[in-house]
This record gives sequence, C-alpha cells and structure tokens, in this order.
Amino acid sequence: MIRRIGIAAALSLVSALAWAQGTIKIAILGPMAFVQGENHWAGAELARDEINKAGGVNVGGKKMQIELIRADTNELQSVPDATNAMERVITRDKADFVVGGFRSEAVLAMQEVAMDYKKIFLGAGAADAKLGENVEKDYNRYKYWFRLTPTKSPDLFKTLLAVLNSVAGQIRASAKREDLKVALVAEKAAWTEALVKGLQATLPKMKMEVVGTWQPSPLATDVTAELAAIERAQADLVFTTLSGPVGITLARQMGERGMKAVAFGINVEGQKDDFWKASAGKANYISTLDTYADIEITPKTHAFMQAFRARYGKAPTYNAATYDAVVLLKDMIEQEKTLDADKLVAAIEKGTHVGTGAVATYDKRHDLVWEIGKTAGIATQWQDGKKVAFWPPNIKGVQPFKLPK
Amino acid sequence: MLQDILVTGLVNGGVYALLAIGFSLIFGVARIVNIAHTAFYMLAAYCFYALLTQVGLGFALSAVLSIAAITALSLLCYRLVIEPVREHESAVLIATIALGLIFQELMLRAYGGSYLGVPSTIDGTMRLFGVSIAYQRLLILGVAALMLLATWFFLYRTRTGLAIRATANDLEVANLMGMNVHRVAMVTVAVSVGLAAIAGVVVTPVTPVHPQMWLEPLVTMLAIVVLGGIGSLKGSLIGALIIAYVEAITVFALPAGAYLKGAVALLIMVFVLLARPEGLFGVAFEEER
Amino acid sequence: MYLLRRVWAELKNEVLVLPSRVLVLVWVLGVLALPLVYADPYVLRILTMTCIFAIFAASWDLLAGYTGQVNFGHALFFGAGAYGSALLSLKLELSPWATIWAGAVLATLAGLLVGYICLRLRGSYLSLATLAFPLIALGLLFAFPDFSGGELGVTGLKRLATGAVGNYYLAALSMLVIVFALWLLADSKFGIVLHAIRDDEVAARASGINTPRYKVAVFAVSGAAAGFSGALFAHYLRVAGPSTLETALSFQVVIWGIFGGVATIYGAVAAVFLLYPLTEWLGSFKAFGELRLLIFAVIVLIVLLFMPRGLAPWVRDKIEAQCPRCKQRNAAWKKTCRLCGVRLKTQIAGAESLVGHQ
Repeated sequence: MIRRIGIAAALSLVSALAWAQGTIKIAILGPMAFVQGENHWAGAELARDEINKAGGVNVGGKKMQIELIRADTNELQSVPDATNAMERVITRDKADFVVGGFRSEAVLAMQEVAMDYKKIFLGAGAADAKLGENVEKDYNRYKYWFRLTPTKSPDLFKTLLAVLNSVAGQIRASAKREDLKVALVAEKAAWTEALVKGLQATLPKMKMEVVGTWQPSPLATDVTAELAAIERAQADLVFTTLSGPVGITLARQMGERGMKAVAFGINVEGQKDDFWKASAGKANYISTLDTYADIEITPKTHAFMQAFRARYGKAPTYNAATYDAVVLLKDMIEQEKTLDADKLVAAIEKGTHVGTGAVATYDKRHDLVWEIGKTAGIATQWQDGKKVAFWPPNIKGVQPFKLPK
Repeated sequence: MLQDILVTGLVNGGVYALLAIGFSLIFGVARIVNIAHTAFYMLAAYCFYALLTQVGLGFALSAVLSIAAITALSLLCYRLVIEPVREHESAVLIATIALGLIFQELMLRAYGGSYLGVPSTIDGTMRLFGVSIAYQRLLILGVAALMLLATWFFLYRTRTGLAIRATANDLEVANLMGMNVHRVAMVTVAVSVGLAAIAGVVVTPVTPVHPQMWLEPLVTMLAIVVLGGIGSLKGSLIGALIIAYVEAITVFALPAGAYLKGAVALLIMVFVLLARPEGLFGVAFEEER
Repeated sequence: MYLLRRVWAELKNEVLVLPSRVLVLVWVLGVLALPLVYADPYVLRILTMTCIFAIFAASWDLLAGYTGQVNFGHALFFGAGAYGSALLSLKLELSPWATIWAGAVLATLAGLLVGYICLRLRGSYLSLATLAFPLIALGLLFAFPDFSGGELGVTGLKRLATGAVGNYYLAALSMLVIVFALWLLADSKFGIVLHAIRDDEVAARASGINTPRYKVAVFAVSGAAAGFSGALFAHYLRVAGPSTLETALSFQVVIWGIFGGVATIYGAVAAVFLLYPLTEWLGSFKAFGELRLLIFAVIVLIVLLFMPRGLAPWVRDKIEAQCPRCKQRNAAWKKTCRLCGVRLKTQIAGAESLVGHQ
C-alpha cells in the first residue's frame, strides 16, 4: 500500500517536473493593439497549437511543448516601451527565443537588447537593411538575428522591376504606344528613398518616362493635389511605394476620379482584407506586391491559408510569418537535438526552409536570399472586390492582370 | 494648377474652419484649451461609421444621431471632468489631454487600429474649370459654409449669442449683469463640440477613420487658431483659409515636398506670431486673476 | 569626527524636521541603494528610463511652472540632445562621454532660439506656438534623410556604461545632480524672480527686472537639462529616432509636470517615479496590457479631480502645516511652530482650512 502510494507520488513528481521543464518558451513581440501585432500572435498561435497537438517538439528524445509569451511592444507609439518589453520577456518571463517586431526604429533598438542576451530573434515585419548590415559588421554579436519577412528594402526593387516587366506589355498594348508615362508616388520615408532613386534611373531605360515624383506623407488624408497633377501629366501608370494609410486614400481617390492610369507597385494597406471596405469599394485595379494569397506559393500555403481563415475569419498579412518562425525553430531544434542558440544559428544558416510564403535560404546578413518564386513574394490586384494574385505567372492559381476600362 | 490650388484650399479650409471656430469659441468664452476638441471630431466620425455601416441607418439619420450623441457626451464630460477643476487652468489642460487619450484608446479597443472607410454621401465627380472635384467635397464645402453662417447668426443675432459674446468679453461683469455664466458655458461647449461633430460626420467619407485621426487636425487647428487670434471667429475663418492655401500651395508647387505641408503651415504661423503676437485678429486681453 | 558631527547636526536641524524632506532623503537613499538590494535587469531598465525622464520632467517644470511659459513642445530639446549627441558620436566617431555635453549644448541653443522667438508671446499663444517647433524640426529631419536617417533615426550608438547596473547609476546620479541643481536654482533669488515674472510680469518689469533676459535664460537652462536627458536616452537605447520629437512625448511631460504639481521641481520628479513604472507595470499584464494608456489616462483624470493642484502639493499639505505667524513649514502633527513657538492649530473651529496653504 505504502509502496504504491510512494510510486504514485514519485511518478507524479517526476511527471510534474518533466512537465514543468517541458516547455520551450517563445516570446511573440509586436504592437498587439494593431493589426500587425494581431497577425504576429495569430500566426504563432496557429503554429503552437498544431505542434503541441501533434505531441510537441522532440528535443533529443524528450518531448517538450511550446509555450508562447505574448508581449505588447506598443512600438508604434513608444520605442522605449518596445525595449522594455524585450527585456521583460527575456529576464522576467525567461523566454528562450523571441519573434516579431514591426517598426524598424523600434526593432533596431530591440535587436540590441536581444543580442545583449544572445537570444535568437526572428524578425517578422521590419524591412530596414540596417538590421542585416549589423550581422555582417559584427557577426559574433548579431548572429542571433534572422529576418523571416519581409525581404530587405533593396530587394523590393528587384521584385518591382520583375513584376513591371511582366505587365508592361499589357499596358503598352492598351495604350497603343511603346513609350509609357509613369508617375511615381512614393511616401516620404527612409525605405522609399533608395527605391525612388533607382526607379528614376532605371525606368527611362525601359522606355518609360518618369513624368513626376510626388512624395506625400505616409499619413496623408488627401492626395487630390497629386492626382490632379498626375492626370494633367497624362500618366499611364501610377507607380506607388506606399505603406501607410495614404495607400487607402490614393486608391479611393483614384477610383472616385475614374482615372485611366493603373496603380502598381507597393501598397501595404492594399494587402489587407479590409482594404476594399476601407476605400469604400473604389479600389478597383489597385495592385501591390504581397506575401499571401490562396495560390500554391509553397506546398504549405494552401493549408495555412485555410486554417488561418477558418480560425480568424480573415486572410493573414505578412506578419503572420511568425507561423514559419515557430515551425522553423521546431524543425531546427529537432534536427540539432538541442536548444543551444549557437548550434541553432548555424543550422538555420545552412539549410533551405520551406515556409508558408517563401522557400527561404539566408545570406551572410541573415536576410532572405532573393529569388523569384522562392522568396520574392507575389503580386496581387484588387478586381471587383476580390484580391487576386497575378504574378509570378507560373504558379498555379494566378490570374491575369486587368487594366481600367 | 491654379484652379487646383484654389479649389483644394477652399474645401480643406472649410473643414479646418469648422474645427477652429469651435475651439476658438470655447477658449474665448470659457478660457478652456480643449485639447480633446478634435477627439470629439474623431468620435463623431466613428459614431457615424458605426450607425451607417453596422446599424444600417441612412446618411441623414446617422449624421443627426452622431452629432446629437457627441454633443451630449461633451456636455457630460464637461460636467464630470472639467467643471470640478475649472479654477485650475493647468489641471483643465491635462484633463482634456487625458480625455482625448481615453477616447483614442476606447476607439482602439472597440474598432482596432485598422483604417475604416465610409461610402460617400454623394458619389461621383464633376469638372469645374478643368478641375475634377468630388461631389462629396462640394458637400463638405457647402455644409461648412452653412454651419459658419448659422454660427454667425446664432452669435450675432440671438440673445444667447449675445450672452456668449458678453461672457467672452468680460466674465465677471456678465455675471453681474445677471447672465447665468454657468449655462452660457454649457451652451458654448455644446455649440463648439457640435461644430466639431459636424466636421467629423461630413469629413468621414473622404478620410480614413482610425483612432489617431484626431492628432493631425489638432496641430493644424491649433496653428490656425493661434494664427487667427484666439477668441476671434473672423480670425479663425481667415486663419483656416490661409493655412489651407499654404498647404495646397506646398503640395502643388513641391510635389516631392508634400510631406512638408504640415511643417510649412506651422512655420507660417510662427512668422505671423513674430509679427503680431496676438495673432491676426486676436485681442490682447489682460491676464485674469 | 567634527565633520560627522556637523553632518549629523545639519541633518537633524534641516532635514529631519520636516516630513517632506525626510521623504526626499529616504527616496535619494532608495534610488542609490536599489541595485544593491534588487539587481533584476528589467527593473533596473525601467528605473533607468524613469531617471532619464525625471530629468526631462524637472526641466519642463522649471520652465513652465516657475515662469509660466507652458511649453507644449518640450520634446524639441529632448530630441535636439538626442540627435545632437547621436550624430556627433556617429559621424565624428567621438566618445559618447564627450558628445552628451555637445547634445546638451545643442539643446541649449535651441532653447535660446525658442525663448527669443517666444518673448513677445503670452499665455496660450506661447504654449501653442511652442507646439510647432518640434514638428518643424521633424520636417527638417525628414527633408534630409541621408543625414538624419529619416524616420529610422540614427542607430548603432555606443553605450555610455556597460551593464545594467552601470547605466542605472549613471542615470540615477545624473538625475540626482541635475534635479538638485534645478531645485537649488528655483529656490534661489533667481527662482524668486521667476515667480515674479509668472505672477505679474508688468510689475516685475516695473521693479527693474530685465524680464526678457530671465525668460530666455530659463529656456536655455531648461533646454540644457532636457537635452542632457535626451542624450542619455539615445545612448542608452542606442537609437536616436524621430520618436524623441513626437508631440505625444511633449504632452506626456506636460502631464507629468502638472500631475506632480507645477512650480515644485520635486513634484515633476515624483510624478515620473510614480507614473512611469506604474504604466510599465500595467503594460506587462497579458490580460489588459494593451489598455495601459487608457488606464493611465483614467488614473490621471481621477487623481486630478481629487488633487487639482497636483500630487506633491496635496501630499505636502497633508503632512505639513504652515505657521500662521512666521510662515515657515512644520510637521502637521506638531502643536507649536518649531521656529517661533506660535500655536499651529487654530482655536477657532472650522478655520483649519485657512492654515496650511502656501
């Protein structure tokens, strides 16, 4: 009798200990009150539940569950709040790995804290090239940083030109001209500076005349002035590099004016599901580079899109690549049979990782190696209320690009 | 290009005038710097959005209900929050800042940080002197002009308006003359926030609605009111037009400098203040004890 | 030995007689001794930020509380210090120990400029005009993104000290020195002149005081302190970005200053020490962490209804009373004034509220 109780007690103690030691803590950091943080959390949550339900992570024979720590960085409103959050999840909540981030200014500061503690930090939102440059400059300190999404700002240029090449023929046919007039609308921000300079240099070589460059504030609520001037210049194409709400304003006002020019480029607001409603149904033909659509970008995309939509009622934005981050950690931990950061860093550097939006390999800056069809992403266009992917053309499910009538 | 500037400046000026006049009124009469003024404008926009798209009422009904609701809310806030600390000017100041923040956070909680859009009251555009103007913007201009006229009529042709102007002129003497200064302040608050609410309702279809939408117009409105002279309605109107035109000129003349329009407007304000410290039409009143 | 007895005598006669000064002493000891007791890096980080912001808030109080020039754009000085120090340390590869002073000098120059521009402005005009300056500065920074880093700011700055404890002591000692210096300044003849300017500038001028000089001087001193705190901030976070010039930061310091009680210096510091860790602590809760700003605003509002003059004056009135004859402060529970011996409690019932206000 006593022996049985003793064994039961010992077993429960051991299992309790095992359970207590048995979690891998991953901190998800993002502006949780905003859509970027919501997606950070949603993607990670989806991954955690799938992995835990399948038994957890196999760390060299021991099964461990994934525990997520949700941390609101409030980075859109306060950079010190973000660094405080990073410090808190590492020292207080004892996170093993950190994932997330969005605002580049804040992520640069957060990166410093994470590197101080030598924690693997997987970025899921900040595009500034400096984050990767740090890795190259001081490898031993910054090697724990990897950027899962998006591709760094300079690579966006390559993607834009690739997509432009594919639709230029269509626009030329419709305009019945070889020479096209392009209006550049770039929000005034650091990430667009290099893009604008590059476009101004490259477009003329593609027989496209840049009729003007307009730079509204990312928060501009009125672009009638810009659009009026663009109409006057008789542009065929409005090349946008916008990430703020000015993208909604532009789309809506272009639609209201019934402009013949088609908007193409980057319009981050245009990637979201509620863009159509936000622009009061006027955003027809707006196209943008994007990350997720219901086509087979990778073998995992379709399942992920379906599961995400079923659980959260809307499509994911690129921040939901935290899903890939969690799965990547699981795969690498199982492969290396350890939680040791240095070994995992080496493993991530070496392999090819199939995610839900990209097939990723990392260069020496721990940025994604750019390759069409693998990491360059896709391009989508809003057609009659639905967002359709039209590029890269060889993926199953893409539809043709449409021009305004 | 000139026509674009003229039309854009006029339309934006109308909206700014609605906001500036309300703010100026409250300051002139009650000596309250109401930082939450544009926050009420934001609330009205959200209310209109909710009634229009979620409850499904028509434009007119949603508009009227929103304006009424926000005006009532402002009176409530005045009673609960501002009145108890009326004598301490600095306390009133941060009370209004705190109020603005509370409204922002509540809307953030309720609707998230994403940008919402409302369908236009009138769709379509027309061409005037070669400029394409959306009907919605003409509506905004029309409503703004109408409300400004109504405000002028109220202030200069009615007894309550007379009381308001008297209180603004000299609080103590007005009190001695038998006017219920308390009630006058409440009416002023109602009129002022009512104007802001009208601005919010009418502008919602052309602006993305989000919880921080009150901060940018706040700065512009403060610049206008300072430029025109705090407490002067004529000053607010003219200031609104000046700032709107300066912004329009900045955007049209410097396409690569469109983001600077806020900074340029503020710079103009600073220059005007250097020349005339009370603003263009402001009255230099003595500090009150 | 004599020195120790002297210190003890000073302590007994000057500090321990008043509860408010005892509180300050306890607080100073607490600030200094904290890492010895509780060296958690997260807590140290929060308190380092608190110390930096305390300098910032105290500088605002000097300007706004004492001369009545309520500055709605105080973040300009903070940002000037941050960017100044950051750009010099990065472009010229100087040590941060040297560039923080340069940042403070830049902020002082900004203070002189703003002070001069605002000389003719009064009251609300001045407040609303000062709102414009950080925004104009932001516009300039965005216009030259190659130089200033645009909306990303300047990154990769060197730390001043290594380790959490080192940085904490740096911030804490700076704060104690600067805040004490500001308080001494405010408590001196200079401070009396400032009070006079605030209460009635015309009368002050009639008395022969060169008020414009004082007003500009206060802007400069306030700017210097705020710039210093901005430089510390930049080197602690290793990033100096446009968030240092935001209107939200200017509003935040106004809230801190007024919440703590204007024209006290220590009030602003107390407000920061109370509100900043509180907000951060609220933000750390998973359940309602995202509501932190809302809760903060509600707390400010509610406290304001009970203490409209601010926190410090309210607390002070509760623990201290003013002697009706010699007007010096005494502990509230004492029966007679410590200096002139007069009875502190009035003999007329209901007249207590007349005793004890500044």
